[in-house]
Amino acid sequence: MTHHRLVSLLLALAMALLAVEARAQDPRLEAARKEGKVVWYTSLALTSSEKVAKLFETAYPGVKVEVHRTGSQRILQRMMQELQANIKNVDVVHTSDAGHYVLLKEKQLLMRYTPAGVDRFAPGFKDKDGFHYGLRATVNVIAYNTQKVSAAEAPRTWKDLLDPKWRGKLVTAHPGYSGVIATHVLALVHLHGWDYFKALAQNKPMLVQSAVDPSGVVASGERPVAVDGGDYTFYQVKKKGNPVEIVYPKEGVPLVVSPSAITSFAPHPNAAKLFTDFIFSKDVQQVLADTEGLYSGNPQVTYPSDKPRLSDLKLLSVDAEELEKRNEEIKTRFVEFFGA
Amino acid sequence: MAEAATAARPRRWEGLDRATPVWLLAAAALVGLILMPLGWLAYMSVRSDGGLTAAHYVRVLGDPPLQKALWNTVVLALWSGLMALVIGAPLAWLTARTDLPFRRSIQSLVMASFVTPPFLGAFAWVMLAGPNAGYLNRLYRELTGAVDPLLNIFSMPGLIFVVAIYTFPYVYIMIANTLGLIASDLEDAAGILGAGRFQVARTITLPMVLPAILSGFILAVLQALALFGSPAILALPAGFHTVTTQLWSFFQYPPRVELAAAFSMPLLLATALLLLVQKRLLGRRGYAAVGGKGGQRRVVALGRWRHPALGVCLAVLAAAVFLPYGILLKAAFSRAWAQPLTWDNFTLDNWSFTFLSVTTRSAIVNTLELGVLTACVGAALATLLAYVTNRRLVAGHQVLGFLAVAPVVIPGVVLAVALFVAYTRPPFLLYGTLWILFLAYLTKEMPVGYSQSDATLRGIHPELEEAGRILGAGRFRVLREITAPLARSGIIATWCFVFIGVIRELSASIILFSPNTKVMSVVIFDLKEEGQFGAIAVLGVFMLVMTFVIVAVMQRLLGRDVMGGRQAGGAG
Amino acid sequence: MPGIAIASLTKRFGDVGAVNQLDLEVRPGELVALLGPSGCGKTTTLRLVAGFLTPEGGEIRVGDRVLSSPTVVVPPERRRMAMIFQSYALWPHMTVAQNVGYGLRFAGVGRADRDRRVDEMLRAVQLAGYGARYPGELSGGQQQRVAVARALVVEPEILLLDEPLSNLDASLREEMRFEIRRLHERFSITTLYVTHDQAEAMVISDRVAVLRDGRVAQIGPPAELFERPRTRFVAEFVGKTNLIDAIADGPGWVRRGGLRLRVPGEALAPSAASSTPPATPVVVSIRPHQIALGPRGAIADASGSVLAGTVVRASYLGDAVDYQVALDGSDVVLRIAGPAPARVGPGQAVSVVVPAAACVLLPAGD
Repeated sequence: MTHHRLVSLLLALAMALLAVEARAQDPRLEAARKEGKVVWYTSLALTSSEKVAKLFETAYPGVKVEVHRTGSQRILQRMMQELQANIKNVDVVHTSDAGHYVLLKEKQLLMRYTPAGVDRFAPGFKDKDGFHYGLRATVNVIAYNTQKVSAAEAPRTWKDLLDPKWRGKLVTAHPGYSGVIATHVLALVHLHGWDYFKALAQNKPMLVQSAVDPSGVVASGERPVAVDGGDYTFYQVKKKGNPVEIVYPKEGVPLVVSPSAITSFAPHPNAAKLFTDFIFSKDVQQVLADTEGLYSGNPQVTYPSDKPRLSDLKLLSVDAEELEKRNEEIKTRFVEFFGA
Repeated sequence: MAEAATAARPRRWEGLDRATPVWLLAAAALVGLILMPLGWLAYMSVRSDGGLTAAHYVRVLGDPPLQKALWNTVVLALWSGLMALVIGAPLAWLTARTDLPFRRSIQSLVMASFVTPPFLGAFAWVMLAGPNAGYLNRLYRELTGAVDPLLNIFSMPGLIFVVAIYTFPYVYIMIANTLGLIASDLEDAAGILGAGRFQVARTITLPMVLPAILSGFILAVLQALALFGSPAILALPAGFHTVTTQLWSFFQYPPRVELAAAFSMPLLLATALLLLVQKRLLGRRGYAAVGGKGGQRRVVALGRWRHPALGVCLAVLAAAVFLPYGILLKAAFSRAWAQPLTWDNFTLDNWSFTFLSVTTRSAIVNTLELGVLTACVGAALATLLAYVTNRRLVAGHQVLGFLAVAPVVIPGVVLAVALFVAYTRPPFLLYGTLWILFLAYLTKEMPVGYSQSDATLRGIHPELEEAGRILGAGRFRVLREITAPLARSGIIATWCFVFIGVIRELSASIILFSPNTKVMSVVIFDLKEEGQFGAIAVLGVFMLVMTFVIVAVMQRLLGRDVMGGRQAGGAG
Repeated sequence: MPGIAIASLTKRFGDVGAVNQLDLEVRPGELVALLGPSGCGKTTTLRLVAGFLTPEGGEIRVGDRVLSSPTVVVPPERRRMAMIFQSYALWPHMTVAQNVGYGLRFAGVGRADRDRRVDEMLRAVQLAGYGARYPGELSGGQQQRVAVARALVVEPEILLLDEPLSNLDASLREEMRFEIRRLHERFSITTLYVTHDQAEAMVISDRVAVLRDGRVAQIGPPAELFERPRTRFVAEFVGKTNLIDAIADGPGWVRRGGLRLRVPGEALAPSAASSTPPATPVVVSIRPHQIALGPRGAIADASGSVLAGTVVRASYLGDAVDYQVALDGSDVVLRIAGPAPARVGPGQAVSVVVPAAACVLLPAGD
């Protein structure tokens, strides 16, 4: 808790610094102010998204951020629905399903824009054509409630979760809602095949939607073990004092890089560019790492000591094209095994 | 005399009833609201790139998971309807006809249950009866040392239970109102002949109330069929679908609108049938005059059954109101909702987080705006329509009456699909605005509004209006000066029902909203998907407070019970 | 003060012809009662006159205005009529004064004038001082008088009443009959009065129209209907009567089996036996109070028929006695009204005198 307060102080400081810096330097600010706002469809957890928005608004007074947070799959659905009705609303789109960006790029719905300083980023965070860049990354992990499950009994590998002793004690999020989970499912299909999920379904896990949800379920003890979910959500919840512990299975953890892009039809292009630069700036990326528990593509970002580094983990990556192509299959088969 | 100066024939305009165009306009509005989307829906269900096809029907009706969803829905609807009946009917009789203590309070609390959005109740019950973290289960485990939970809300019985405790008010209101109209002397007659009070209830009161009972049952079933929020919260985690959740999932990207349209049809047919039955039940009744002498109503003494009866009522209210509201309040102020509310756990962060969010604030404004607008337009339209059908002002008024109630047939999700298809193309490009939500709400709440207005107008003897007309008042003046004041309480009740219905609407909103036009229920649902229990609890509490304030204001304006209880004696 | 002219009025409800080519004339200032059993079309006719229904055929004229026809119906509010309903239809949310004054608002009457006229009318119906009360606080009789006041205060051209007394108890009903007649004589408004109560119609009306199956069976002043009914139906409906199916038996005589009755010559009854060929079936109507009764042999009558019979029953009614007498040598049982106390008792042999003038000949088979 004290750590949290300290970080808040640092945040305030950062905001002040950013404000000074920004006002002094950015010529696009005028144009952005005229536009008045940037509309951001984001699948980043609401608290985190709103925090980022507040930072931006403080740094660039006069430009508002309209945060619309929902699950990755929903964001895509909304966008397509709006476009069908000829509504051009969204400026910056950020989901956790890399496959989406393959689709959007194909449909020429993205604007080519490279945020400042992003060339430093790790290769997995950059689109070769320059249409989208990885804003943040997380890995799918196992988590358990320390009050209900001792460290000795806790599952250590993905395969451990198939043990019948976990029947009725598991919770999983849904690839039909969450990009993080869709990525996870594909990664595990590569690792262990669809039979893995067939067997997992035998343990009758509770179904929730968002990759953020399992953290709440485990924290409350409603189900003691989560079989997936972004590690950053569990990290946040643990930091708040909940009895949650994270397990990074040795077989490998599915890496989810969540891209961000500006739409080709953005109604507030200048504000969008300003915003994009902002969120990819080192300072903001550092904030994401410090307080939200996220990983960044920027190699200069430092991480809290109680979190493993990406280089320490065995990462399971999935190809964005494959994710896009097999999206239907992932959702359908999941429903087939888990019922809904 | 016959050969006298040619008789003055009335000029064309003199004979024309000036009110006719208005009735026709109202009728046209209704047709547009309902037939248009339905037409689109029907068209979509057989549409394909190559012309008309039955392939969609074949697909949805032959697919085993979809069949399972259909079956689940049937089970859910019938059982929850039955349970609603079992809870609502005795409660209605106890509060309307006996000397049960605290009758008025109990009636108000039933109203609270009615006003509570079922999805909020479902959510609260997750916190109460989730098999591991649920408050009641933990209590049970602590007291008995058992390992397995007492209750698992993530199951079909759990879903039935939650749906029933929030749909029983429909049954309750129907029956309580009817009981209020029956004079006691009919029952006294039986009593004198030696029937005990329960026999009287069974053999005299019951048959007279039977149409209302069956009608209420049907209404509860129809509500259960259309619910989306509760199944989404309770059934999906347990791994089963209902038709509504399945329809919603048809809308994930890429949307399969044709399948959704085809899959809605069985539901539409079933509900149409139910509606027909309900109409037959109520249609033959004549009205009980408001302007005449109502019979005296006396209460049945319960004697030694007083306290057990009270216990039963309190148990029902605990399930529907006390426990859920309690846990919501607790979660609103807790950092971790499953932990006991110690000083450590207490926080106001949930409140600041929720209300500082722009999304939430604009959603609240949207909800209020839409609520008020829909209620005003809806009440006016419903009253006009009920008037037209009750006084048979246009040819085909029976069709109008049927159309006004027809939207009950359409589950909110399906209606949303239809509206989406109808109003996302020129010249009616309404998607992305509040107007498409307004249309959805107006259509959806019309049945409730119309039923209430219909019941109200039935109770106003046509002679009261005829007396005004023959003395020189035109149709509209009569409506304003005679019918409206007499119908006032009914109209206000209509307004309230529509308003409350709008506030808690989720199933259509979840499809039709756009990021700029979110309403509170959608925000709550979004938060649920993220597992933000604290924020949900805050919004839920806020939603309930808002609703109760409006209802209280209405009741104050009205001076009597909104739910239709009559005041003893006299005029005005 | 205009009159009402109804010509060939027709109204159907589905396949049922409620009003069937009905003709009726109400003279200016006259009170005509529409009398008949339920389903005869009297209320429908009234509602057609009021303008609440549209006729399928025919025409309703008031004065020289055509108010109703199949093509055009002048709405009720422009007909300059007033109506008193069976349920009184008093508006429970308005005071008595507001109820009564309601119609005056559309007559361009100023506030002060209105109040004055309302007060006057309330006095006229003996409800002075009740203006501030609500209908719910009044008794049935008082409510009815408010309804009357409300209708009369607007000085309508036509007054319509739909069984206004049927919700009152018997003694009140009688009292109100006279009251209504008195008010009619005072205000002389052309009035159409629907009732199923024949005594009421007789007391109240200038003329009574007996309705049957949607048409007027007979119309005339009460006395004419009573003393000279023209059909079996009317004879039975208006007052009690004895009906005997017989056949003409030469001029001035009818016969039924062994019974021969003297009946009036052609001067008295237009469809009398003299113009009727012998052996034509005919119905004879004889009012109970016109038949004389006495111990056998004690009475006689030169211009009538003297018949022998036996008393079957004698019911004491206080102010009269109701006898049933079986005639010897016939299957006819006569009902006779005589003064109290009874002079003869059951089983007694009696003489019955039926004056020829009391026999009204009616067409058979009606």
